[in-house]
Amino acid sequence: MTTMDPTVEGAVAETPADAAEPKGNHLPGLSRICGTTGFTVDLTAQKFIQLNAVAAVVCLLIGGIAALLVALTRWPAVHLLPAEWYYRMVTLHGLSMLILWIIFFEIAVLYFAGTVLLKSRLASATAAWISFIMMVVGGGMVAAMVLTGKADVMFTSYAPLKAHQLYYLGVILFAVGTLIGVINFFATIYIAKRDKTYKGSVPLVVFGAITAGIIAVATLLHGAAIYIPTWLWALGVIPNMDPAVYRLVFWGLGHPSQQINVAAMVSVWYLLSAITVGGKVLNQGVSRVAFLFYILFINLASAHHLLVDPGVSAGWKIWNTSYAMYLAVLASMIHGYTVPASVEVALRKQGHDKGLFGWLGAAPWGNPGFSGFFLSLLIFGFIGGITGVTLGTEQINIIAHNTLRIPGHFHSTVVGGTTLAFMAVTYYVVPLIFRREFPLRAICKLQPYVFALGIAMVSFGMSFAGSYGVSRRHWDIEFTGATHAAGYDASVHVWLALVGIGGIVAFTGLLMYVLPVVGAVFFGKKIDGKMTPW
Amino acid sequence: MAKQEKAADVIEKESEHHGDEAHKAPGTFVLTLILLVSFAVYYFANWKALADVWHVR
Amino acid sequence: MGISAPPADWFKAPSGTERAWIGLALLWCIVLTLAMPYWHFKGKQNSTGEAYAVEPAKFAARVQSFVASNKVDEKNGIPVVEAAPGGDAYLQAQMWTFYPILKFRKGQTYRLHISSTDIQHGFSLLPINMNFQVLPGYDHVLTITPTMTGDFPIICNEFCGIGHHQMTGKIIVTE
Repeated sequence: MTTMDPTVEGAVAETPADAAEPKGNHLPGLSRICGTTGFTVDLTAQKFIQLNAVAAVVCLLIGGIAALLVALTRWPAVHLLPAEWYYRMVTLHGLSMLILWIIFFEIAVLYFAGTVLLKSRLASATAAWISFIMMVVGGGMVAAMVLTGKADVMFTSYAPLKAHQLYYLGVILFAVGTLIGVINFFATIYIAKRDKTYKGSVPLVVFGAITAGIIAVATLLHGAAIYIPTWLWALGVIPNMDPAVYRLVFWGLGHPSQQINVAAMVSVWYLLSAITVGGKVLNQGVSRVAFLFYILFINLASAHHLLVDPGVSAGWKIWNTSYAMYLAVLASMIHGYTVPASVEVALRKQGHDKGLFGWLGAAPWGNPGFSGFFLSLLIFGFIGGITGVTLGTEQINIIAHNTLRIPGHFHSTVVGGTTLAFMAVTYYVVPLIFRREFPLRAICKLQPYVFALGIAMVSFGMSFAGSYGVSRRHWDIEFTGATHAAGYDASVHVWLALVGIGGIVAFTGLLMYVLPVVGAVFFGKKIDGKMTPW
Repeated sequence: MAKQEKAADVIEKESEHHGDEAHKAPGTFVLTLILLVSFAVYYFANWKALADVWHVR
Repeated sequence: MGISAPPADWFKAPSGTERAWIGLALLWCIVLTLAMPYWHFKGKQNSTGEAYAVEPAKFAARVQSFVASNKVDEKNGIPVVEAAPGGDAYLQAQMWTFYPILKFRKGQTYRLHISSTDIQHGFSLLPINMNFQVLPGYDHVLTITPTMTGDFPIICNEFCGIGHHQMTGKIIVTE
């Protein structure tokens, strides 16, 4: 195996011919050899990768429209939506992006990593159907409740604020569906191991996917611990929900679930480094231990949401913010080195060895799979990572909690980081799994730059506005009609305008992603042999 | 293309003799140092901003 | 490569710049870890989370008696209440106002009790930008010392329904 990069001719042909390679466990007639990469693709897995990816992109579009409406409302000069619809759209945006889009896509990533990279079939088509249908039904219920105004409770639905019981039931169905998908992934790993479809240790990308899967199980159990009692409370079975307990358990779900995104994103980084430039992992041990840290020190982030809460002591907050010396942060800092280093080493070996950054200049910036991945790495590290650790410092949270600094942070992790990485990998998923050529290739090549620019603007605008105290999830910075006059420094108008304009740019970038993807999947030229290289 | 093909062979060789030589990634190291410096500047600027607000326990 | 099986003997110690970076990053993580306990003992801004269980109705009664005994003025029908330096002050968050208007003296320390009588709210002091969570059933005590004079709006920064963006309050600090 050298490199999968289709631009490197003859790079792949030798793989299937290698007699020493272990054999796959595919059912007769239910697999194919990829003409581009030489990988064996299980056709059942392929179908579910496609279904989950399509559902993900639909949710991304819905969430994106909500995002644009929200951004244009927070831009004071436009102030588009009425208050009621603003709060409704914030709720819809959070749910459809942070839950629906990301998790549908992650299930697709897990099915890919468990089957294609391990030369295995998917463990159960039935389980995959049940998982997918539950996720679609659950997600649909949530969206319906929000859009009909029966769940104006924000993504967090902090009790005693109450939504319609079907809203909570929808979340539970979606979560159980996800859990079934994750278990199906683990079952796939099990049968691959049993049938000896791979030798020795699993590839690093699979290792990262397993990390994400393990964290997902832990997170979904926290989800059950909070959403099931809350659902019963909404049904009137349980009389009271303690607001502090709700917050504690909810964030046992809420923040570790972001660690799923981080683990999945980092896996996609390694995958794209390998596919686009033939990136080599410097030290397998280092990268794997760093993944392990995500599992072991995951709860770290849960406490970040309770740093200015009553009832949790300073000792508890400091301990839970930093226990084991920020080893989850260390893990991200390690990947932040090993991933670009894998690119640098590969490009230097290919002859781009001039100076400190000659390799960076010679990188394939016209390949959206590469540019999206590298921009994701930069935005996640330089904006997301730095702001996240700082805002999550116990005392510093006093000047950040519930201000726009918080969404300023997570739009650079979960959007500029995870979402952009998932977009980047789509430029290979569509030709290799859907076997369709992308139309509008010039737009594709530009897309990561437009989206990254828009998200960076949104993130900066929010962060600066938030440092003047501007509240998140807030309709009117003028406080019209309030009992006591209030307002912000005049400069926040500039920062909020940056959020609005950045929102337009990012939404443009989103459309530049969705339209070619839809065009390729439904109308793209069929690929029989090799995909056209980017 | 011919040049790249050759390059791919080099990677192949390298992955067979993994770890025989230290991997050189000086550019990445400089990038991460820039990250660390920006991190420290932002982090301590926030402590400074915190020190300016009302006292609270 | 990340997508192919690693060689059998993949576990080895890091070397070169990778090793140097891991060392530096670990060192930085230790700095991050120690900064918080340091500030807890030496810094002037800490969130200790001091809180007591309280029934919303009982908290409202405490606010009423605090207003009755410490009222110094009235603005637009809302009492302005001055707490005794070193003493207790009460602030009630409810949909969609903070009650009453508080009056403090610069450099004096107060035990500010904040709670909600309905759902969750957020206490955000402007333009200073200090933020604390307000929960029903929890009497959140902030031992607070204003360090500047002026009129300081309080706004709610936890979503609390359709009137959320009109929920404000006020603290007046004099010499």
